[in-house]
Amino acid sequence: MTDDEEAPVSPGTQPRHAAGDGVGLVQPRDFVHLEPFTFMSGQTIQAFTLRYETYGALNATRDNAVLVCHALSGDHHCAGWHTPSDAKPGWWDNLIGPGKAVDTRRFYVVCANVLGGCQGSTGPSSIDPATGRPYGTRFPFVTIRDMVRSQKLLLDHLGISELHAVMGGSMGGMTAIMFAIEYPQFTRRQIIMASTANESAQAIAFNEVGRQAIMQDPEWNNGDYARDGGPRVGLAIARMMAHITYLSDVGMDRKFGRRKRESAGGEVYSFDAQFEVESYLRHQGQSFINRFDANSYLYITRAIDQFDPARGAGSLEKAFAPVCAESLVVGFTSDWLFPPEQNRTIALALLRAFKRASYAELSTDLGHDSFLLESEALYGLVRGFLERSEAYVFDFTI
Amino acid sequence: MNRFIEKRTVDMQVIGEWVEPQSRVLDLGCGRGELMDYLVQAKQVYATGVDLSFERISACVRRGLSAYQGDMTAFMRAFPDRHFDRVICARTVHELDDPAGVILEALRVGSTVTVGFVNHAFYKNRLGELLRGRKVRNAVYTTAWHESRPANHLTIADFEDFCRIKSIRIARRAHLLGDWRTPCPILPNLFAGYALYDLARD
Repeated sequence: MTDDEEAPVSPGTQPRHAAGDGVGLVQPRDFVHLEPFTFMSGQTIQAFTLRYETYGALNATRDNAVLVCHALSGDHHCAGWHTPSDAKPGWWDNLIGPGKAVDTRRFYVVCANVLGGCQGSTGPSSIDPATGRPYGTRFPFVTIRDMVRSQKLLLDHLGISELHAVMGGSMGGMTAIMFAIEYPQFTRRQIIMASTANESAQAIAFNEVGRQAIMQDPEWNNGDYARDGGPRVGLAIARMMAHITYLSDVGMDRKFGRRKRESAGGEVYSFDAQFEVESYLRHQGQSFINRFDANSYLYITRAIDQFDPARGAGSLEKAFAPVCAESLVVGFTSDWLFPPEQNRTIALALLRAFKRASYAELSTDLGHDSFLLESEALYGLVRGFLERSEAYVFDFTI
Repeated sequence: MNRFIEKRTVDMQVIGEWVEPQSRVLDLGCGRGELMDYLVQAKQVYATGVDLSFERISACVRRGLSAYQGDMTAFMRAFPDRHFDRVICARTVHELDDPAGVILEALRVGSTVTVGFVNHAFYKNRLGELLRGRKVRNAVYTTAWHESRPANHLTIADFEDFCRIKSIRIARRAHLLGDWRTPCPILPNLFAGYALYDLARD
């Protein structure tokens, strides 16, 4: 997802973290699993940590939890503020909070940084206790299923008896899909947004260009680099390119058009950033290298590419056979990375497998990142799916 | 307006009598899910609806129903033969781009197809057009021509003729008078306000 799609903090007013419209100040916590964990690849690590946040309270029956799953470059901080001086809140703060679509007065929201990530969970930048140095590419290959299995251990640790829902966009949608397949009795609902049951060649191709940008940077050094070093140029280029795939032609045109930077002056015959879109992408690349690890980028994009539950099962509906969850799939018209058709495929396969599933589609021009959209229509859909009572009283007057 | 809602209920009740309990039902043009909700509660069916509008799908989701936003023919093409016990197309046929294509595809994915429609040849419609020389306006046709979407109105005679041409077997029919409640005893194309058919493939 992009870094700056959230609404800006309005200047001169009370800071939003204190304004009472969100979950307020939040603290990440660490779940440390001190037993060996074997990945789908067969490789094992002796212990792992997942960094996570929770909002709201677990109820007495321990069944009001909503697990939020982040996308490729996201993390556990999906709502609220870490400090009053934060420039922006968690990445899905518009959706999650008291009285919001995912109402933290009703639901106990859990969000964890994925295994293989770099925001506090164990990943390639973590120290390998066997060598005392970062794992680098000695870190086991991670799959979406590994991410799901490790997060289930966290949910068990938190005492959650069943999930009211699991939800996410993009890779987060894949995580939700895998949760519903892997833990069918545990997962009552799933919301899948702007996602896919397996990437198209085009999406794999974009990930491969990103990986090549990183791996062709001499500073990558086969994944062996110091914490503050590494393939910063390659990672920035990977991010710049990927960022374009999260937007849309129309959306970029609306946001930047052919506008030129003020500081560009009248100089035309130069390779300095002249257009606003150029300086925007350069800024995106630079801010990304300060918060993301290049090896994590390789591992997580690989996990996304490999995700294909239909492959082992023979077909998608066979893969969905164990699912007990009710599903809501949401596509966005301008998403060309995981387009509406691929989201429809998920809903149709669930229905062919005789599951309860709905598909809704929102018209937006924000591209793949549309799932982060500030839209009352989207909020109403999500709220309606999460909150409707089990026994709806039939109303003939509607 | 009350009368219109009451008519909707009558429509639902007739379909409800035909639907087998616990069967798999597909509702083409499901709207906000009123019929599906009724059938789920009255007959414990496994219902799925298709509609084009986000708002209507969202309303179905709010009721806890399965609903799919998209084209109904494209939706049906994604399913194997006889996936559904019954496909319902109530008060939608007159809005379809390709009514024959939809009904034939419904006969493939459903064991039975229920079609319900307003009989445009109802005598009051005929008289209104004949005497007033204007577009029919009443509790069913509520809007003036300039407020209306294009509609491909049909009559009982048209529909039965279509079934004959396409070799579609009519397994059951219900013709209701203008109150959409009382069975029509005679000359349905003239005196029935609403018609319901159960179709099957020969």
